[in-house]
Amino acid sequence: MEISHRPMNRVDLLEVVGRVDAATATKLKQQIDALFEEGRYRIVLDMAGLEYVSSPGLRVLIEARKRAREWKITDLEGGDIRIANLPPKIKEVFDLTGFTSLFEMYGDTIEAVGSF
Amino acid sequence: METITITADLDALAKISAFITEAAERCGLDERATWQVQLAVDEAATNVIQHAYDQENPGDITLGWFCEENRFVITLRDRGRQFDPESVPPPDINSPLEERQVGGLGLYLITRLMDEARFDFRPQEGNVLTMVKYLSMSPRDDVVVMPISGRVDAVTAPQLNKAVHEQISSGTRFMLLDLSDVTFLSSSGLRALLLIRKELMTLGGELRLAGLQPQVHEVFALTGFTQVFAIHTTAEEARASFGLGRA
Repeated sequence: MEISHRPMNRVDLLEVVGRVDAATATKLKQQIDALFEEGRYRIVLDMAGLEYVSSPGLRVLIEARKRAREWKITDLEGGDIRIANLPPKIKEVFDLTGFTSLFEMYGDTIEAVGSF
Repeated sequence: METITITADLDALAKISAFITEAAERCGLDERATWQVQLAVDEAATNVIQHAYDQENPGDITLGWFCEENRFVITLRDRGRQFDPESVPPPDINSPLEERQVGGLGLYLITRLMDEARFDFRPQEGNVLTMVKYLSMSPRDDVVVMPISGRVDAVTAPQLNKAVHEQISSGTRFMLLDLSDVTFLSSSGLRALLLIRKELMTLGGELRLAGLQPQVHEVFALTGFTQVFAIHTTAEEARASFGLGRA
């Protein structure tokens, strides 16, 4: 798994490429935690290159979104983890596990970044 | 059965995935089924790595596979702590984010992605997980559909025979007789159908029948031949069944 990070004004874009399994999920968690520590809680995950995700990866996503949403500027504005470009086979895992309704998902990164 | 035995640490996951992907492809699984098997096996191996052994001192995991007819069978063995699937509560996949727990997702995915999953513990062997994926087969594309109409009796049976044999001599082995427009079937007609069926089966082919009108169906029912022939309600249904089961 490779993660590339593109910081923008208000939002951080993380592009996740390859396999997120028990062996690599920790790396994704560390990358997200590092942003949280800098006080950056608005994150878009670009999943266009994501080949694979198993339950340890799902766990990281859910825990990250819970933490991001605890950060609030106002009642209407705060942190979140949003997803762009979810590939169809990963969507199938999301559907099976009930994750589809847990995340805001967007068709491309521009739309996802603009949603904040 | 082909097997691979490796140390159950996190580095094993990529090797296991490569091993099982190649196996699935050799077994003829399509891309989607291959990917589903990959994920199920990965979840199962992750369970072993994280829960069966102490992660500081991992034991071995043995993965094996074989295919038979339309089943791809995978076994996963370890000698760690006994795993009892009953002890894992099913995940609540409908709860909102704040309440969502992620435990139990691995086991849940295994049962959803595979057609069969059985966990056994044998004192001599340890944990044995057997998972099965059915191969989805596609219907044959070399089926010849022959619509028959009118009466099939002693007078017309030779005509039917002749038409069928012209097909057989030109290489047809899978034949669907659409009887929707057959108004009458006599015992001679039935006998002709039986011989055609036998001949096609001897040649490795199949005969299927579709669209029987009630009075024709009754002839089959009265003679007990509904059990012998592959009879389908519609030609479409019959067509989709070639190569997939009892004919």
